[in-house]
Amino acid sequence: MAAPHDRSQDRADRAAVRDTYDQIATHFAKTREYAWPEVESFVADTVGDHARTNSRTEMPPIGLDLGCGNCRHAELLADTGHFDHVLGVDVSRGLLETGRERAQEREFAVDLCQGDAAELPLAANAISAAVYVATLHHLPTQAARQASLDELGRVLAPSPDGRALVSAWSTAHDRFDEDEIDTADGTGFDTTVEWTLPGGDTVDRFYHIYTPEEFEQDLAASSLAVLEWEVSSGNCYAVVAGAAGSDV
Amino acid sequence: MKESLLDILRCPLDKHELELEDATYDESVDGDSDDGEDAAEVVDGTLVCSECGERYPIEDGIPNLLPPDMQEESPA
Repeated sequence: MAAPHDRSQDRADRAAVRDTYDQIATHFAKTREYAWPEVESFVADTVGDHARTNSRTEMPPIGLDLGCGNCRHAELLADTGHFDHVLGVDVSRGLLETGRERAQEREFAVDLCQGDAAELPLAANAISAAVYVATLHHLPTQAARQASLDELGRVLAPSPDGRALVSAWSTAHDRFDEDEIDTADGTGFDTTVEWTLPGGDTVDRFYHIYTPEEFEQDLAASSLAVLEWEVSSGNCYAVVAGAAGSDV
Repeated sequence: MKESLLDILRCPLDKHELELEDATYDESVDGDSDDGEDAAEVVDGTLVCSECGERYPIEDGIPNLLPPDMQEESPA
């Protein structure tokens, strides 16, 4: 368990990530027009079977896009018609505003909430299906990343009801030269990737680049149950279920 | 924010239920229908943790449920 000081430093680091995305939100969202095919497959193949009234809590089916950005994946969940609510959660208010615009332009319903992926403001077992895509790798410490996987396990409906897709950027991406990656201990590395705004200004964005082994280990150490996982287009993906024995 | 979301939103710190205070509603949304409670749209207000008393703002329809020490923007 982290000491109070560490916890507060951890939050300060996560607030700094939030500030980065507030700064680049409008331009960033414009470059994130299309849903990823891996997410489309998950929504098409898995979500329908699990979007049902939660057998433990008798809550109506609720979908979650965690780290929703401009809500391109919340839109996929909403378009299934399976959910009473689709919730988009993001740390950046600026990105949430781009999600609201997209929902208005493209006429889908999403409920927006500003929140931190490592300390989710959601009830246990409330979520029938979730996508947690390209967000985990922005959390600046291992403790925060591990906490966020546990939090996803907490809010997902217990197995067999809840399902989520988790993805993170990995060392398998062809942008990274594998010979230069020191993965002797099996873990990935921290880096920053520049974002260039239309005026030419650049903003550094934090990434933790996972090795596939580390991604698998962090999931195994979490409260989530891993059902499938793969490396695709340089990202690690896992289909996960909520913990079977979690208490309501 | 739909008022019915209170069923699933929780305090990020201790995960207890939140109570809505000082709410103003979007009057263009019919909150008096059979489905009224679900339809009511909160524009501004405060969500208060029923356990620890921490207060979280709803601004222009979006609740800010970041942990309190992440709420303020850090200086640029």
